[in-house]
Amino acid sequence: MDEATARTTEGESPTDDCESESASDEVERAPDATAAAAAGGAAGDDADAARARAAVYGLLAAAFDGDHDTLAGALCDGTLADLAVRFPGDADGGALDRPDLDAEGLRVGYDNLFVVPGPHYIPPFASAWADDPSESFESDSPYHDAGAAGELLGDPAAVAARSHAAVGFEPERGDAIPDHLAAELEFMRALCEREAALLADASDATDDLVAVRERQRETVGRLGWLDDFHEAVEAEDAVEGVFAALARLARTFVAWDAQHGIAAPDSGTVPPQ
Amino acid sequence: MSTDDSTDADAGGTEDEGPSLTRRDLVKAVGAVGAIGAASAATVNVDTDDLWADNTEHYVGDDYGEYGASDVIHTTCGQCNTFCPIKVRLADDSGTGEYSSLVRKLAGNPYSFLNTQPFSQVPYSSDPEEVATGDVAGSGDVDADRWSLSGGRICLKGQAGIQTAFDSYRVRKPMKRVGPRGSGEWKTVSWKQAIEDIVEGDDDLGHPGLRDLWGYAPEDEVMDDWEAVQSGELDKSAFDEKWGDALIDTDHPDMGPKANQIVDVGGFRRNFIRTRLWHQGLGSINSVHHAGTCGFSSVMGNVRSHAAQKKRQYPDVENCEYLLVWGTNPMVANKGPTWLAPKLTNAIEDGMRMDVVDPRLSKTAEKADTWVPVEPGADGALALGMARWILEHDRHDVEYLRNPAESAAAADGEPTWSDATHLVLVDEEAGPKARATDLGLVPADHELADDFVAVDASTGEPRPASEVETGVLDVSLTVDGTAVRSVWSLYRDRVFEHTVEEYAEMSGVSADRIAEVADEFTSHGERAAIMAYRGPAKHTNGFYNTRAIATLQHLIGNYDWKGGQITPYAGYSTMSGRYELGQVPDGHSPWGIPLLRGGVNYEDTTLFERDDGYPAKRPWFPVAPPQATQELYGSAADEYPYGVEALFIRPYSNNHVMAVAGGDQIPDILGDPDTIPLVVASDTVIGETSKYADYILPEPTYLERWENFGTYPNKRLADEKISQPAVEVVPDSRPFEEVLIDLWTELDLPGVGEDAIPDADGELWPLERAEDFYLKLAANIACDREPVPDASEEEMRVFRESHEQGLGDSFDLDRWKRAVSDEEWAKVVTVLNRGGRFEEPVDDYADRFAEHGHEYDYAERFDDSNAYDGDQMRYKLGSRVDFYSEVVPKGKHSYTGERFDPLPRVDDVEHYDGGVQAPVTDDGDPERPLRLINWKPRTQGMHRTTNSPWLRETRPQNPLWINPRDAEERGIENGDTIVIDAGRRTVEGVAMVTNGIRPGVVGAMWGWGRSGDGAVEETIDGETRGPVEDDGHTPYQFDEPMTEEAGLAKGRDAGFAINHLQPLDEELSDTGLSDLVGGSNAQYDAFVEIERT
Repeated sequence: MDEATARTTEGESPTDDCESESASDEVERAPDATAAAAAGGAAGDDADAARARAAVYGLLAAAFDGDHDTLAGALCDGTLADLAVRFPGDADGGALDRPDLDAEGLRVGYDNLFVVPGPHYIPPFASAWADDPSESFESDSPYHDAGAAGELLGDPAAVAARSHAAVGFEPERGDAIPDHLAAELEFMRALCEREAALLADASDATDDLVAVRERQRETVGRLGWLDDFHEAVEAEDAVEGVFAALARLARTFVAWDAQHGIAAPDSGTVPPQ
Repeated sequence: MSTDDSTDADAGGTEDEGPSLTRRDLVKAVGAVGAIGAASAATVNVDTDDLWADNTEHYVGDDYGEYGASDVIHTTCGQCNTFCPIKVRLADDSGTGEYSSLVRKLAGNPYSFLNTQPFSQVPYSSDPEEVATGDVAGSGDVDADRWSLSGGRICLKGQAGIQTAFDSYRVRKPMKRVGPRGSGEWKTVSWKQAIEDIVEGDDDLGHPGLRDLWGYAPEDEVMDDWEAVQSGELDKSAFDEKWGDALIDTDHPDMGPKANQIVDVGGFRRNFIRTRLWHQGLGSINSVHHAGTCGFSSVMGNVRSHAAQKKRQYPDVENCEYLLVWGTNPMVANKGPTWLAPKLTNAIEDGMRMDVVDPRLSKTAEKADTWVPVEPGADGALALGMARWILEHDRHDVEYLRNPAESAAAADGEPTWSDATHLVLVDEEAGPKARATDLGLVPADHELADDFVAVDASTGEPRPASEVETGVLDVSLTVDGTAVRSVWSLYRDRVFEHTVEEYAEMSGVSADRIAEVADEFTSHGERAAIMAYRGPAKHTNGFYNTRAIATLQHLIGNYDWKGGQITPYAGYSTMSGRYELGQVPDGHSPWGIPLLRGGVNYEDTTLFERDDGYPAKRPWFPVAPPQATQELYGSAADEYPYGVEALFIRPYSNNHVMAVAGGDQIPDILGDPDTIPLVVASDTVIGETSKYADYILPEPTYLERWENFGTYPNKRLADEKISQPAVEVVPDSRPFEEVLIDLWTELDLPGVGEDAIPDADGELWPLERAEDFYLKLAANIACDREPVPDASEEEMRVFRESHEQGLGDSFDLDRWKRAVSDEEWAKVVTVLNRGGRFEEPVDDYADRFAEHGHEYDYAERFDDSNAYDGDQMRYKLGSRVDFYSEVVPKGKHSYTGERFDPLPRVDDVEHYDGGVQAPVTDDGDPERPLRLINWKPRTQGMHRTTNSPWLRETRPQNPLWINPRDAEERGIENGDTIVIDAGRRTVEGVAMVTNGIRPGVVGAMWGWGRSGDGAVEETIDGETRGPVEDDGHTPYQFDEPMTEEAGLAKGRDAGFAINHLQPLDEELSDTGLSDLVGGSNAQYDAFVEIERT
């Protein structure tokens, strides 16, 4: 019995903040998994994988967008802990296993790490991590370190915005900053869902599939800054560690996805007869 | 890369250990995730057509990119208080419109004569399209000259404006503190929540709301009842009952209404926020700007030296033959170097002699013929020494001085006249000037009853001044039993109190040098002038220093002459004309003792009796407006004259912790919620002051909002700048005036919402957004004097396109149009397309510009110049100038009760209780031997925040300038790390040994010295770490100053905060010393010792 199931049978205190509806639910399969499985074969596998990847991206996007209710739920019921444990190198598995955590605490933690430009700020968007012009960027803020965390809406934001625009994507997450982590993760979610939909669609969608996967590859290619980002969050979020662990998970997952998750361009398609 | 999922992936992710996850594993793991993640509805639509189409071609660094007027918005810079008109060149292709445009480049506005100096501006009527592409006939040709006037000058600070707007440390959401003030932890809240909490109060933080705090009653009603109480007609208890809710203290009704305890601090948008919202809307008298921490004493010293408005000193550079720059640095600072530097440089090339009075060899002093390193604070002695030499050698313009009134002056062709011949009632307490009726010269109802009196040289009799053609300078008489003396004789006596040698001793300038400068100053007729500003002013004797300097120009009567002293308050109507923007229907009239105790004598208030007379607890500034900002926090702590219940700060231009001498004392006061229960900051970043607020509300930067800054009177033509939003970077930021509109609407205060702004016909217009005000202001500008032409269809298109590009979805053209009438809109567009209104140097300018080009001084060369009126300036002071101010002695020093001096004088720098901080009149005995001064660096606008400027590579911190003599005595070499001991504080710095500073004086630039991390104890997530031991201690290597070492900027704690080394007032101990006459705080009066570490 996997850990998630074990926990749900232990029963929880009714005063717990953890009131996720799924807390006592049985483990369920993702809704469309059945349909995709019915499609069979590699396409079905790819579709499952795409949906699974979409779910993870969506969850991480919510977490980095300050969607505290979703995050609290996922921490509470162990979803995130389970996920994290699957990836190599999760040394501190406990950080994401937080049935005790309240939404307010999460909110303050999130705000001070990713929104409030004060002493704990780790800007969660690519432009701030770009080398150029970051090294010489001047800020009016006394909290800004020289040579670090430069621009808002720099070139990486322009690139992200163009990429989103090319496929008609308008992010709802990420505080209107195109290269915000939440926006890009949301973008990946949408791309993965699109991939899954294309795979479920019986008609020949090869060109579209190739395009969508190429777009996914291009997007994760823009997330190289997550390494530095994670290290910075880990250094700052040293006490509670929830966001440090989330950053690690994001970094690890994205790296995994780049290597293993994104399917070959024509994977799962009907080979030419 | 395999498509076979079942392959064991041994090429792991980023981590080395453990088996890598397969896709199938992920599917299983995620099964449990269910539908949690998919909360947002955004989807993608991959269309095959867009598939590989990447429309943007990726060039790297193209040639000069062509762009047009639709890529340009003209607005005003806000990186320093000069407020240059600028051109914002919007970036191409910035994205999908999720955010508005980016800025490609900032440059000066070519329509403005300020930023095109030393060239002439493009004609106002020029097509914006041609201006943007540099195609206006006469503006140069890029292909031929590789240069054209499509953009004006801008300084390095201005260029860095892009970084100000697009700063990852911008505050993006309203924030409310979590934990104690200044603890550095916040949570974001919605605007709705923030407004509600501010209005209604908040139990979490335990602060009151405006609704509870506010109260108002009109002065006349209250004071009528108060008089009735005094005369016994009304019971005090009835008075208390009636007015208790409205007044701060019914025992002291002169404190005014409770509204006065709601205080606004923020330099700009004064017409909007101070006049409309604070004074008339809220009914509070306390809307404060930065004057006290800035050149207040200089302004007041000039104000009291001239009858018409004159707050500054500037020359007509183009025609000046001798310029004495005094305690200011126009090549680099002042207001603004963008045009002053090229004008001065050209003037020097053309033969102007420039001397500079400054304790240090500034950039301007480097270009001087003679550098006069005066002792800091002893400028009054130097000026009076010059005056003595001038009088002894009869070099003053006697003819000018003998004109008692306008009529006599006009007869001599003089635009101004002085009060030298006017008689003073010397036996009366405040020594007012005599009026004609005072001496029985005319009956009380005579039209000349109020005239000043002069002794007529032709008759020897005292007469009303307007009837005298030539007055007598030296007068000491009794008229009808009344003793009178002429202003001149009093002034002369004052000047002769010391010999030139004594003045030399006091000022540290040799008698020979004083003679030389005075000689030169009086050898060029009216083509000599003085430019003075903060150097002499930022001392407790700053007012008198400025008076001494200003009156030197009275001696040569150079006002309004070509090459002389100019006073061009020349603009276009802003607050009235088509719309009466300053009028609030049913608005309140603010009244009561201002928090900063300006404009009223202590002994004229009920506090005098309450507190047993002199000394008053804190300084009063009876002859200055209530803007001694440095007193704000101490006054709040002492509840003197009353407590502050709510403080609203806009730190832009008011970062008090850094800008106030002794500002290091402010955090203790601000950090205590019992002292000021509610503190709200509207800021672009979390700064040294705003970090102590209860709420920080995100403000747009200057590139994102409206504003109307005046130009300093150092120009020859009229101009009016308008600042308009060019981009929108942080969608949730709101200009503070809009937040106030929301707050006032909740409180039902007048002047906001419907029926708020009257037009010229009396119709009332709504005020809901900032543009409702500023577009009307633009209409007033457009229609003043000769109205500007209507914008063509083409210009309308350019306007719409550029604003759509810059502002994206948040630009609502229809809404903007509705703010004014249709006829006005066509003219508003003309003004906005050009960033304001800029007078042309001559008529038919466009044709002449096409013929002669931009490298031509039209104002000089043509007779129909708009800058000159023959040999005089077109924009004149045109009034009396005063050696003697009868206003000043109406004020009394609130410690001693002594009257202030109507004349310039030499004074020591003193604490409030009279203790000497820096001696001038004698050697004194300062505790530490080295005088510490500071100055505005090239690279900083003001103390908005103290992060290092963007040229830190060449100036990584603020090194301390020290003369080789002083350095050698202490074994200090250039580049040594030193400890600067200011008595109450020590900091670390690095020494720059240079002959460019007077021995006995050391100094540094301001703008450094973060107070954040490490300066105080901090608790983060439950862990506390202690403060670092030494303030400003830095654990890294400093560069050696004056070596050309380029490289990366140094770390964040570079340098030291110079205002935190300033002495605290002995009597007050919570802030620095103040000039009670002029209002400035003392910033150049610290004494330090330096030691090598």
